Amino acid sequence: MTIIELVNVKKTYLLGRVEVEAVRGVSFAIEKGDFISIAGPSGSGKSTILNLIGCIDTPTSGTVEIEGKPTAGLTDRELTLLRHESIGFIFQSFNLIPVLDVYENIEFPLLMGAGGPPKRERRAWVESLIAEVGLEQWRRHKPNELSGGQRQRVAIARALVTKPRIVLADEPTANLDSTTGEQIITLMKKINREIATTFIFSTHDAKIVDEADHIIRLLDGQVVENTRVAEPAAMGAAE
Amino acid sequence: MPVLLRIALRNIREHTSKSLIIGSLVVLGVIIIVLGNSLLDTAAQGVHRMFIDNYTGDIFISGVTNTPGAQVSLFGLTGGGESESTPVLPDFDAVQAHLQADPRVKAVTSQVTGMGMVTLEGGDNRAMTLLFGVDPATYPGLFHDTYLVSGSYLTPGQEGIVVSRGWLKNADENLKADLKVGDKVLINGFGRAGFKIREATIVGVVDFNAETEGMDLIAWANADTVRILSGVDVSAEDVVLTKSQTTLLNATSDNDIFGAAETSVSAAAARAPVMETAPDAGPGASAQKTGGSWHFLLARLTDSRQTDAVIRDTNAWLESQGIEARAGGWKVAAGPFAESIDVIRIVFYIAILIVAIVAVIIMMNTLVISVMERTGEIGTMRALGAQKPYVWLMFLIETLAVTIVFGLVGIVIASGLVGIVNLLHISASNFFTQIIFGGKVLSLSITPLSFLNTLLMVAGVGLVAHLYPVMVALKVPPVRAMQAE
Repeated sequence: MTIIELVNVKKTYLLGRVEVEAVRGVSFAIEKGDFISIAGPSGSGKSTILNLIGCIDTPTSGTVEIEGKPTAGLTDRELTLLRHESIGFIFQSFNLIPVLDVYENIEFPLLMGAGGPPKRERRAWVESLIAEVGLEQWRRHKPNELSGGQRQRVAIARALVTKPRIVLADEPTANLDSTTGEQIITLMKKINREIATTFIFSTHDAKIVDEADHIIRLLDGQVVENTRVAEPAAMGAAE
Repeated sequence: MPVLLRIALRNIREHTSKSLIIGSLVVLGVIIIVLGNSLLDTAAQGVHRMFIDNYTGDIFISGVTNTPGAQVSLFGLTGGGESESTPVLPDFDAVQAHLQADPRVKAVTSQVTGMGMVTLEGGDNRAMTLLFGVDPATYPGLFHDTYLVSGSYLTPGQEGIVVSRGWLKNADENLKADLKVGDKVLINGFGRAGFKIREATIVGVVDFNAETEGMDLIAWANADTVRILSGVDVSAEDVVLTKSQTTLLNATSDNDIFGAAETSVSAAAARAPVMETAPDAGPGASAQKTGGSWHFLLARLTDSRQTDAVIRDTNAWLESQGIEARAGGWKVAAGPFAESIDVIRIVFYIAILIVAIVAVIIMMNTLVISVMERTGEIGTMRALGAQKPYVWLMFLIETLAVTIVFGLVGIVIASGLVGIVNLLHISASNFFTQIIFGGKVLSLSITPLSFLNTLLMVAGVGLVAHLYPVMVALKVPPVRAMQAE
């Protein structure tokens, strides 16, 4: 079942007076439960593709469909709601809120929307995520008291807290050493297998790319390879 | 505690330098506002004692001047040119009766005002004086914030002047004399009827419980002395003409007139006893008996908070009766002195406004810098699903948290400063500082209401200051989350 589809997507930026084509007519589809790597060298358009899928940027032309709905024409409010309900983000620089501790950072997205789960239910869910990412001992620590790997685990838990169908990870291992990076990818894959959340991550690390079930390779803003290595995780398990 | 409040309070703690910049401005602003308001409140209390309790009363009724730019106050007509004089209060008896019948009015008195130059017999030196021609039977019922130093107060029917200790000191300096109770002075009056001279005996010296130098210009005299000096009508029935004066007025030939030239009506009237009020006369009785013209009616109310209502009702009545008179409050009565207070108040408010504008600009810049530093955080929140109003709310709570936390700190410091200032017993060196201090020594007071007002003002400044930064924050696109380092 296709969860994301890009059709002839182009994205052009203005750098001063110079037009830069970051993405040049990209088309591909992503299946629900996929564990997909968008690979390519720096400047190949990986982050731009993730931004477009994550509805935090809009294409210059072409269409992006999330769960069958085109994102073009949605208002800022509708796009924000779509992100909150359907998409989780894992950032290269972790992007945790510095004044909140581990527990509070993970809980934070649940407090932004109206009518979130009741407090007891919320607490149990956040605690289970903390346990899932192995940070029980660190739940009252602030981000600056954690290692890079621990911060990224917090970010993974935060991305999953709203039970999104899609998780986008922009170079999630770029700021980590190779061992920690592998652990993070292993964790992401474990969650993908357990709850069939679609994971899309960008990377230029060949070892990380090898962990993906589906590889889309970019070069100069165009898809040069679209390879399925394995079937997506069991469909329907995410619900 | 809501997560946004948690974030706000922790950000205040985490971003110490930013918080201190904004906080110190808030603290400074609060100190200025609390001390300034306290000073204004103290001045207002002082004004009440200095003006309302000492010589204006709550209600002031005067005749109306049609001269453009001219104002009628207890000190006479100002801004009307040399040929103009203070208008006499028309239909005095009716206005007085109306005022006395108002249950909100506690006491009523009447007054006539004039300017004069004081000299001594055979002397060349002069001292200026303001003359309040009063009704001794009713005047003390309104203004009793004085105590007698020597001599006595004027009694009904008695001629003479009562002066303050300050007046006496000024007169002694200017006239090179050592005046005391029982001494006679000559007062030169300049009014509508031309130049007049009148001898007056100092019958009493008083001092004020809330003394000010402004009061040192005033001498209280029997009404007819001031009427004569100011050219205001004296009661005809009170002027006792001698047989020769009657003969003179009945004369039909020039010889008869010039043959009696050594005696004049005005001279006789000037020396005649003019007030024949019985000692037990009630409020206003003396004025009715003497029947002379008055410039003003002054009234004290049972409750000063009803002043505006009484003024409004009285003016409506005056208009309905077609009487060319107007009622006003102490500010109208105090005239130029009240204006000086208003000037001080305006200067203070301008200072507050300037401080507020400076505070808004600095706070705005600091908050904009804060927004710039936090674009990654804002972008992350937007990416995670925070709607724009949520981001706005976050900055609003942060701004209010900073202003209220530091506002409370400012209030504590300001309270301490008020205590220190009161302990220092700072003395007023001149009239204007006495107005500001509300007396001779500065004694500040603060109320919980002024604290609340100050906090609201500071929060208002914070609200204004946060508007532009929050607009900047709301323009931060969620894609900035990806660019955060």
